[in-house]
Order: sequence, then structure tokens, then C-alpha cells
Amino acid sequence: MIALWDTTGTAVVKALAAERRNAGGVASGLALTLVAVVDESRVREAESAAATAAAAHPCRIIIVVRGESPPPDSGPSESHMDAEIVVGGRLGPCEGVVLRMRGRLVHHAESVVIPLLAPDVPVVTWWHGVAPARIAYDPLGVVADRRITDSLQSPDPIAALRQRAEDYAPGDTDLAWTRATPWRSCLASALDTASSPVVAATIRTAPEDPTGVLLRGWLRARLGIEPEVRPDGPLVQGVSLRLASGDELVVERADGMAILRRNGMADRMLPLPRRQLGDQLAEELRHLDPDQAYSAALEALSGQTGLSQRPAARVHIWHDPTGTSASGATSGPALGLFE
Amino acid sequence: MSSGSGSLGAPRRNPLRDPLDRRMPRIPEPCALVIFGVTGDLARKKLLPAVYDLANRGLLPPGFAVVGFARRDWGDGDFEAMARQAMQDHARTPWREDVWARLSKNLIFVPGSFEDDAAFDRLARTLAELCERNGIPGNAAFYLSIPPGAFPTVLKQMQRTRLADNEHNGGWRRVVVEKPFGTDLASARQLNQLVDEVFTPAGVFRIDHYLGKETVQNILALRFANALFEPIWDSRYVNSVQITMAEDVGIEGRAGYYDSAGAARDVLQNHLLQLLALVAMEEPTSFGPEEIRTEKLKVLRAIELPEDIATGTVRGQYQAGWVAGERAVGYLEEEGVPPNSTTETYVAVKLGIRNRRWAGVPFYLRAGKRLPRRVTEIAVIFNKAPHQPFHPADVELLGNNQLVIRVQPDEGVTLKFGSKVPGTTMEVRDITMDFQYGEAFTESSPEAYERLVLDVLLGDSTLFPHAEEVEQSWRVIDPLEEAWAGTTPFPYRAGEWGPRAADEMLARDGRNWRRP
Repeated sequence: MIALWDTTGTAVVKALAAERRNAGGVASGLALTLVAVVDESRVREAESAAATAAAAHPCRIIIVVRGESPPPDSGPSESHMDAEIVVGGRLGPCEGVVLRMRGRLVHHAESVVIPLLAPDVPVVTWWHGVAPARIAYDPLGVVADRRITDSLQSPDPIAALRQRAEDYAPGDTDLAWTRATPWRSCLASALDTASSPVVAATIRTAPEDPTGVLLRGWLRARLGIEPEVRPDGPLVQGVSLRLASGDELVVERADGMAILRRNGMADRMLPLPRRQLGDQLAEELRHLDPDQAYSAALEALSGQTGLSQRPAARVHIWHDPTGTSASGATSGPALGLFE
Repeated sequence: MSSGSGSLGAPRRNPLRDPLDRRMPRIPEPCALVIFGVTGDLARKKLLPAVYDLANRGLLPPGFAVVGFARRDWGDGDFEAMARQAMQDHARTPWREDVWARLSKNLIFVPGSFEDDAAFDRLARTLAELCERNGIPGNAAFYLSIPPGAFPTVLKQMQRTRLADNEHNGGWRRVVVEKPFGTDLASARQLNQLVDEVFTPAGVFRIDHYLGKETVQNILALRFANALFEPIWDSRYVNSVQITMAEDVGIEGRAGYYDSAGAARDVLQNHLLQLLALVAMEEPTSFGPEEIRTEKLKVLRAIELPEDIATGTVRGQYQAGWVAGERAVGYLEEEGVPPNSTTETYVAVKLGIRNRRWAGVPFYLRAGKRLPRRVTEIAVIFNKAPHQPFHPADVELLGNNQLVIRVQPDEGVTLKFGSKVPGTTMEVRDITMDFQYGEAFTESSPEAYERLVLDVLLGDSTLFPHAEEVEQSWRVIDPLEEAWAGTTPFPYRAGEWGPRAADEMLARDGRNWRRP
């Protein structure tokens, strides 16, 4: 590990190259660059998640820690950056750069990050915290091919998810959706042997859990029915599907597993593991193309259409951080299902 | 079943499954896996661990059950203990009690010998009850992890008890057969007929575990997903192809089987010819099992044996020597090997392919035991540049360009080409550019058996050789075996790269073997 105090972007690029050379052939095949935007207090958490994900997808990790937004009258000279470079070691098979920025540089983090991106491989930006209301406000989101947000971390997760539908562009994804994957595969296997259509569905979930809301959107999109939501919690507790034949399929969470009940049959167990952040991140990095199932679920939720036809590339929008609050959702059209 | 429509209705498309939704894993329909010979080595080291790994990755359907069948005086508890031990010792993924707890509830043991009618009746009954209890719509796969000599008995028993009957059981019934698929064309045909008669041909899965390896599947991706390699993949640019499968171990107590088979029947007939087929085949019209099989068959049919089998092939037999720092006894001193055995433990052949793409390009295949290290690789060796503008002295160290596909270990691809040596002179030397599977995709690749067991349960036969391919491969091996009858293999020292005659065979063509 090398630590560089009060350094510049150019020095970081040189130091990274030197460190790679010293390490020999380590991490020569990079599949992608992961840019993680985090607060100082969560750097270690992001690092360990990235190291887990990198075990499946060798990558270069650039962790950007932005300090407080500077007062408007501060000059460029008050900008300051420290960097840490880790090749191998605690980051496992990946190589990482932690950049800590202060002063006006926090609004221009991309000027340091872009030269550090691995050549010609996809860039994934991950906000481990509250994501910008519009991704185009953050230049680190604009350079990315895939953008990972986590609406659960917002003060109001459902409003944040609504904002994600509003702001959606192909290549966006949210960890609340990732957390729905085990549920979705359980439900799909439960339905594998059903020979009559689903006529009704009930989701038992905490009302403020975006994963439950997304499950509802997905069931609506796939089955063309209006799933009912019954408050329960924490998180998603169970889903039941009623078939036209009168049969009832129930999938319930039970301590790392799901119990699948169906009248007339013995209960069966399905895996429904509680996954760590790193595993969730690894799932996100596996497919780097736009997630059509996610955009369809968002469409079903928000009533908007053509989400997947929107242009995938964004243009940076200058946004004064001292103005409206960063997480403040703009008021969109009436989004019946979200209410 | 409350309404009756539950299990009997025609299967309908599951609206929650969407091919565009690539997060959701492919999970088989509810089914059971019946393993004959469950106490054997293969079941303990490969099959049961593969089942655990699949369960751990969440790829098994709800209610999935394993039924073990073997001649042991065992209760369910004993089987459970044995399965737990096997899975703990050999599974690839970390051990998790909750996965085991879920799996162990559905492990059932049925004791009995293959001749015992009552035992098979009991098996049929157990399976039917299990299907009812676990909501399995009659689906079961039967894994014959037993000596080929026992096949007819077991298959007859399954026919008698209607275990193999799709219609009778209301779901699919599949059978998995391990190599050897016969010992020559006639016996392979007989075996195929027997299996096809009891099961439907589409329900028969022949395992060649090499095809389950990621690197082997990658041969097709490398060739057909890229624009770079296919244009030079023919006799105009390719000088020769070398396929090597080397093992450092000896026969490991399998004297009985090995001495009657030899290297050609043991690995050349299946693994090496399958690798050759994948390297040499034309582009399939799609990636479906039918299309790939068609192309593989075409290549296998076009294989040309050496004109003179005596000079175009080499058989070897290892003598005592040292391998990896340990003393190794010679083949004839191995326990159970007759002292006058002429079975080969090394085989090298020069094959041709009679089609426009490969006319005149020799394919050198070699396989052997007690070679210096365990390695399987395919080397495509390209022609030298037609003209060198450099001084001959400067290109002295420049060899042929090579593309090497490393199947195991260190899975990956190496490209060897010339590059200028730094300095004031224009000196050109071979260097290698390396792609390591473990580096670009560090996710540890699934074990071959894991993938193949899953494919059987899913009913995907892409990675399984078809009966016709097996028969066609025997058509290549049989004339060789015939010509070798009565000859004695060349001796080689354990720990050497085969007999000197193999080097001489290539030297006659002006080539030499790559050191893998």
C-alpha cells in the first residue's frame, strides 16, 4: 500500500502504474472499473463489499470520499486530496485507489477519476449512501456504463425509488431490486409446476421497503394482475399467489430459507439466503447490460412507459449542491401505485 | 392435489420466467436423482459433492431428492452419514449446515443387489411415494455409476418395474451413463441399443466430463464469437494441431479395467476425439444440441487414419522412474497387471481430416500416464510468415505463432508471437500473451460434474456426446487397435514425456512436440 498526502491526480496515476509493475502479473486482466461514492465512515464497508464482488469480477476499485461541500467563496487553492493505493493485499484480487477530497475539488472528482479508469472496460458507479436525485447531477454517474443506487439508504426509500423511475435510463439499477432476486427465483420455481394461471397475489412486506414495492411491480408486469400489499415486516415476509384452479401457493421467509406451501402438498424448503452487501454487488456486476425486468417493474409501478427506450447516455447537469437538498425528490406526475 | 388440474395438466409457460431476465438462475423442474452404485468412488468424490454444490448455489428445485441404491445393509442414517462425509470432503463451495439440513431430509437409501426383484420393486415404490410427498410430477434421472457389465441387469430391472417409462410415470425419465461406452464399435452399438430401448434416445445422457469444463466450452466461444480467429482457422494458416492430455498419476489401482482397455480406449476414444471435434468442426447454425452434434459428427466422420499405422502411431508403456520427487513403479510391476501385458499407457497418433478446411493439416494427439505433470491442452500451430525481411540471424529465436488453449490446470489461452527484443538491433523473439481464466473471471468455475448433473436435470443435452458420436469415435479407434494387436508398446521412463519413438514420429514430419 502507498499513501500519498496532499497529492494530485497525475501523481496517483503514476503511483498506481508503479505499484502494478511491482506486484508483477497481479490483476492484469481487469473486467471493469468500479467507482464507489461513499462517506468516510463507510469506506471500509465499501472496500470489503468490493473485495467480495471482485472475487467474481476482477476490477479496479476507485473509492471516492467527498468532504463537505465548500463555502461558495472558497478558492481552488483550498482544494486538497489524499490518496491510498492498494494492489492485491486486503482488496484480494483487485486493485484499489481511495481518494479523499476536500474543498472545491469535491465537485470535480471526475477530473481525478477519469484518468484512473482502466482502458476500454465498462465503468460501474455505485453510490453507497444517498444517491443524487438526478444521476446526471453527478459527473461520476455520467461517465458510468452502469449505475448502482440503493434506495433503501435514503431517508424516504419509497420516494427515492419513485425518483429512480423518474430519472431512469437504461443501465440504472438499484440494490433494492437485487435483494428481490432470491424472492423472484423462489416464486418462479413455485410456479413451475402450476398449470393454471395466477389470478391474485398478496405481498406481506414492510410498507417502507422498496424491495417489496419492486416485487409488486414485477408481479404486476409479469402476471397482469394487481397484487395486494399487506403491511408486515421487517422487509418482505411472504408472497402468496392464488391460482385459477383455487390452489394457493405461499412462499414465506423462515430463517435463511423460504417455506413453500401449497394445499394438498407437504411444505417444501427453498433457499432464500440473506446475502451480504458484497454478494449483492457481485450480482450487479455479473450482467452489465440494461436490466429489462427492472425497468418493466418500474414501469408497472410508476405508470410511465418507454423507460427502456430512453437514451442510455446522460449529459452532466450542473447542480448547485447548496441549493435544493441532494436527496430532494422532484415532484413527478401522480404515481398511483407508489402511494 | 385439490383440483386435479395441479399435476396432470399440460405444462404451461411459467409467466414469471423471462429469457431477458438473466438474474434468475435456471432451475430444473421438481425431480429426483437416483444413483446406482452410490457407495462407489465416483458418487462419493464427484456426484454427491456436485449435488451439495448445486444446492448451495440454490440451483435445485424445491422437493429435490436423492435416492441411493447399492448393496449395503444400511438404514437411512448410514447413508446420510456417508453422504455428509462425502460432501464435506469434496464439495467446492463452503459448508453450510442449513443447506445440508434441507438436503438431508430428502436423502433416501434403498438397499439391494441388481438381481434382486424385490429391491427394485421397493425402489419403484419409494420413488412413487417420494414424488407424491414432495410434489414431484414423476420426474427422475437415473445415474448408472456402476460397471458396464451390470448395465443390462439394471436396465432390464428398470424396464420390468416401469421405472424408465415416461408415460407411466407422468414426467420425464432420464438415464446417465458413464464411460466406457463399450470397448469397440460392436459393443458400443449393443450398449446404445440396450439403453435406447429402455429409455427414449432423448432421455439418454452420456457423460464425457471433459465437455463440462468451462475451458472446453470456451473453445466454441473463442472460435465463433470472435472475428479474429476464424478467418485463419484453416489449412492456409494452420500448420498443425497438437492435443495433449498428460497425467502424472499411474493407473491407481484400476488395473483390472485399465489393462483390458489401455490409453486409446480409455481417453483417446472419448476425451481427445471430442476435443478434436470441437477444434475442427464447422460453425453450427445455432447453439442447439442438434446443430452442434451435426457438425461434430461431420468432423468425426472425416477423420483420416495414418496410411501406415505402424509409423503414424506410437504406443508406450511406462517403466519405473521418478515423478514429482517420488519413486514410481513400472506399469508391469503395478498390482494386478499381468507381467507380460502389452497394454499401452501412452498413445500418440497422427490424424488427418478429409475436408476443405483441414486438408493436409496433421492433428497430433497424445495421451499418457506417468508423464511429468498433469496437463491438458490444445495447441494450434500456425505457419511461419512466408517471407522474413529480417536478417536470418535476428529471427533465429522466432518459432511458429501458436494459440494454446489450456484445458487444465491454469485454464486459459496463450497466444505466442514474435516481438522485438529491446535494444539497438532488430532481434525478434517469441513472447506469450496470456489470458488466465482465473484472472478475468475469478469466480471459481463450477466443477464439470456440477454443470453436467444440472444439465441432465434441465434436459439440456448440448454437452453430452450422442450415441452416433460414440459409434463414430469407435470407427476411428477400432482399426488402430486391430493394427496394434500383437505388437509391444515402446517403453518410457515414468516422468518422461513419453517414448522416444513419439518424438521421432514428429521429427520425420519436421516438427516437434510442444513441452506443455
